[in-house]
Amino acid sequence: MTTDQRPEFHAALNSLEETTMDMADRVEKMVGMAVRSLVTSDNSLVTEVISSDDKVDELYMDIRSRWMQIMARQQPMGRDLRMMAAILELNNTLERMGDQAVNIARIARATAGLPREETILAKLVEMGDLVKPMIRTSIDCFVRRDADECLLLPAMDVPVDVLNRGMWKHVVECGHDQPLLEWATRMVLVSRALERVGDQAVDIGEQVAFLMTGDHHEFTRYTG
Amino acid sequence: MSIRLESGPVVVGRAVSTGAASPSPASPETAPVIFDIKGLNVYYRDFHAVADTDLDIHRNEITALIGPSGCGKSTVLRCFNRMNDLIDGARVEGRVLYHGIDLYGPAVDAVEVRRRIGMVFQKPNPFPKSVYENIVFGPKVAGWKGNLDDLVEESLRRAALWDEVKDKLDGSALDLSGGQQQRLCIARAIATSPDVVLMDEPCSALDPIATYRIESLMRELKEQYTIVVVTHNMQQAARVSDRTAFFSVDVGEEGQRTGRLVEYDATDQVFTAPSLKETEDYITGRFG
Repeated sequence: MTTDQRPEFHAALNSLEETTMDMADRVEKMVGMAVRSLVTSDNSLVTEVISSDDKVDELYMDIRSRWMQIMARQQPMGRDLRMMAAILELNNTLERMGDQAVNIARIARATAGLPREETILAKLVEMGDLVKPMIRTSIDCFVRRDADECLLLPAMDVPVDVLNRGMWKHVVECGHDQPLLEWATRMVLVSRALERVGDQAVDIGEQVAFLMTGDHHEFTRYTG
Repeated sequence: MSIRLESGPVVVGRAVSTGAASPSPASPETAPVIFDIKGLNVYYRDFHAVADTDLDIHRNEITALIGPSGCGKSTVLRCFNRMNDLIDGARVEGRVLYHGIDLYGPAVDAVEVRRRIGMVFQKPNPFPKSVYENIVFGPKVAGWKGNLDDLVEESLRRAALWDEVKDKLDGSALDLSGGQQQRLCIARAIATSPDVVLMDEPCSALDPIATYRIESLMRELKEQYTIVVVTHNMQQAARVSDRTAFFSVDVGEEGQRTGRLVEYDATDQVFTAPSLKETEDYITGRFG
């Protein structure tokens, strides 16, 4: 029977983790909204993504501040230290994922009046459909401390990378039409942003593995 | 990928990174073993204080012994220089080899053991004599034939105290601050040219600045000596040591408490990713 001898510290650590998970939920929604704004050209979704990112940035600063206080006051060790290291990484990663969602939403706004090519749009929607479960899986693994399931993430990332690498081919095919080419060229940036989000979900999975094992491992990634 | 944290037998030994605690390019896997302890059991009359401990202490490293009160870490420390001999009813079983020699062998002189393996205690305990006399007392008893003035200066310099006391060598040691007194005790311990310095909670009576000075001194001293330190302060163990041994207590049906070694590993490993849940619970404050 173990008793927690540092209840205040562990309460602060749990609270920090909860805030990080709150941030993760928001980022997951932002990515979904950003891709939807691309398809629907719904400017209210763009606005919502941008305002959500303001909140994510606020949480990012709050987590950093509380993280510093805990390190200075509590000097965590063992799994607590690993949790602190993982939270710091997640905080950075999630903030950048939020930025990618904003990038996509801004492109959706900027290209709203341009002609679109349905194949490219379908590929981007497919990429969105692939990365959202990756975000959810990585966060669920973190919450459940599941170092086994997070090993699935690199495999989940493979089709995202394949779609991203194939995007140029579709863009080139739009070269005959200047306004369409302008739209398609911007979509390359969207594709790249979604590919990054997938990579970042894998990064979170690596943090779960570190949290549970203490070993730093880079998961094997698609390089084809 | 499976999770490594699990209950189990004692985990001992891994490569040691000297990390921030030491800039020296040690080759820890090959650092020679000074103490080779196997099956150590210590009793005080009927009380079984420490059970079945195996432990290697490596040369020119700082080894920290940590654990809750009553876990036997100080008892184990006292076995390294036969200080337990001085306790009525104490009995040591098992093998305590020092450079391959059984410390508890019949031909071994306990006084000579304590000359080679010095000790610094929790509370600074200088003799009520001058600073100079504190240093030369032990060497004189041991028949030192060299230049005592040189010995005093050298010992005080190694203990990072010379500059502070060089003009008051004839003054009473008791007039020094607590931190200075503890460094004087370290100077006294190394004046007899020991091989090993044992430290039992050397900073627990000191303020933070004096503590950091002692820790800094320990890192300097390990270039020449092997240091084993008992500390309640896990941050101190993390800051100064190369290896850490975590002891815990088993409580018997009748309330008898017996200490045992749980995990012994590189300090970096123990404080970031220990192998055993019992260690993790202790260092993260989930115990009791």
